Amino acid sequence: MSDNTDCTRRDFLKLAGAAAAVAAVATAAPGLVTEAEAAELDLVTKRQTGVYAADSNPKLYKARKSQDNAMVQKLYAKDGFLHDGPTGHKAHLLLHTHYFDRSAGVKALKAKGIKLKA
Amino acid sequence: MQEMEKVMMKGSAPKNIDPTKFSFVQVDAEKCQACGTCDDVCKTGAIQPVGKDEKRQVLDPAACVNCGQCLVNCPYGAIYEEVSFVDEVFKALKDPNTVVVSMPAPAVRYALGEAFGLPAGTHVGGKMHAALRKLGFKLIWDNEFTADVTIMEEGTELLNRVKKPSHGAPLPQFTSCCPGWVKFVEAFYPELIPNLSSAKSPIGMLGALAKTYGAKQTKTDPGKMFTVSIMPCIAKKYEGLRPELAASGYRDTDVTITTRELAYMIKKAGIDFKNLKDEAADPILGEATGAATIFATSGGVMEAALRLAYEVLSGDRLKDVDLKGVRAHEGIKTASVDVPKFGKVNVAVASGLDNAKKLCDEVKAGKSPHHFIEIMTCPGGCVNGGGQILNPSVRTADNGCSKVFAEINKRLAMKAQA
Repeated sequence: MSDNTDCTRRDFLKLAGAAAAVAAVATAAPGLVTEAEAAELDLVTKRQTGVYAADSNPKLYKARKSQDNAMVQKLYAKDGFLHDGPTGHKAHLLLHTHYFDRSAGVKALKAKGIKLKA
Repeated sequence: MQEMEKVMMKGSAPKNIDPTKFSFVQVDAEKCQACGTCDDVCKTGAIQPVGKDEKRQVLDPAACVNCGQCLVNCPYGAIYEEVSFVDEVFKALKDPNTVVVSMPAPAVRYALGEAFGLPAGTHVGGKMHAALRKLGFKLIWDNEFTADVTIMEEGTELLNRVKKPSHGAPLPQFTSCCPGWVKFVEAFYPELIPNLSSAKSPIGMLGALAKTYGAKQTKTDPGKMFTVSIMPCIAKKYEGLRPELAASGYRDTDVTITTRELAYMIKKAGIDFKNLKDEAADPILGEATGAATIFATSGGVMEAALRLAYEVLSGDRLKDVDLKGVRAHEGIKTASVDVPKFGKVNVAVASGLDNAKKLCDEVKAGKSPHHFIEIMTCPGGCVNGGGQILNPSVRTADNGCSKVFAEINKRLAMKAQA
């Protein structure tokens, strides 16, 4: 199939008139993979539905607020490991981070004339 | 190359490598049919046609956020993963001197069952814990615990910013759980770095807590611990390798595997997953709430944060925790939540980086009305992550009808370019 691509591509473009209707549909749906995408959304919906069902199922999760998690309370308790509380000194050392400007690589690609989408 | 759950996996990342210089997904030119599905789902433009035959290629790791949407959407299975730590995990599990620690993400348990014939969306958290024990993991800790901790940290940070926004910590605050999104900000919107929550992602927190607090509580030598991050995500492999994530004095996360790789390991070990009895995670770093499990979906982090923020700002108990106004199936969702004794909390939720861009441009222009913005790279959130069990309907290559469809797409894509 791929070895005669060049030839069939031109043939196909000559038939572009016949394909106009298909093209119109494809323009209306800018994602060219409507079939696969539709199936994808269906799967995502099923998984999302499972997530919210579990959230409200007391057999799976006793509490529904993070601050009500007994082990979270133990972690932040006055005599606990993070006794100075959320965003306290120790929490900052272990649980917070910093980020880096990584735009140089992207700028270098754009300088080479490569078109990116962002 | 090894095949795991229909995806080809190349091997381990070289040691001590800068993960920004490394590609986590790449196209196999032998299998690529130049259909263009991948450049359609890639929102950064990292994957592009190369050469006369227009086969696709990840051009440069600098532009790729490692989300893997190209891989999970390729109809031909032409995109492979460069990095798999499965061999290292099996090796560690066999070593009697190593304490292997499991750290599975919320979203893993909503897709893992599909690999064993269970319906999509089935919560298999209990079976997953049982399977991890059977595989030989010594401490079954769960990333859902640190999703709750993330709410405490990120939520408190938000409340601090609302009280006193500053140059270094402005509003709106962006979530920082999603490693594709974080790299996207660093590479494409560096001026918005101060808006990113400084809170690590839940897995960043669990690795650091496992080898400090967890080690102390279980009287385990942290030097003997081997922490395995189990994710619905390829970009988490990148995050796990970030050099700065070593707050415990060790590598906080030793290795990262995906939902697919865990399914592969369970099958390889001959475990009858479907018939496993539910088991709980180990205490200390294993207990979680509903607010933690909803991190798996777009809108979930926001809803979980609001369940805290509401109570702190109003001083009242939040009676109805179902904040359906921020549940986002896909795209962008905005909401204004009335909080007694405070006023309106304005929030936005987006998944898909094309949607994220719109919100970023608004913030950049100083026109964002929001206090808090949640972004996830994959459409719909982590349940649809690049490391999840594949959607069986995506691989259309052996389906004649879809093959014709793909061919038409290919021609149209070419025509559009001409």
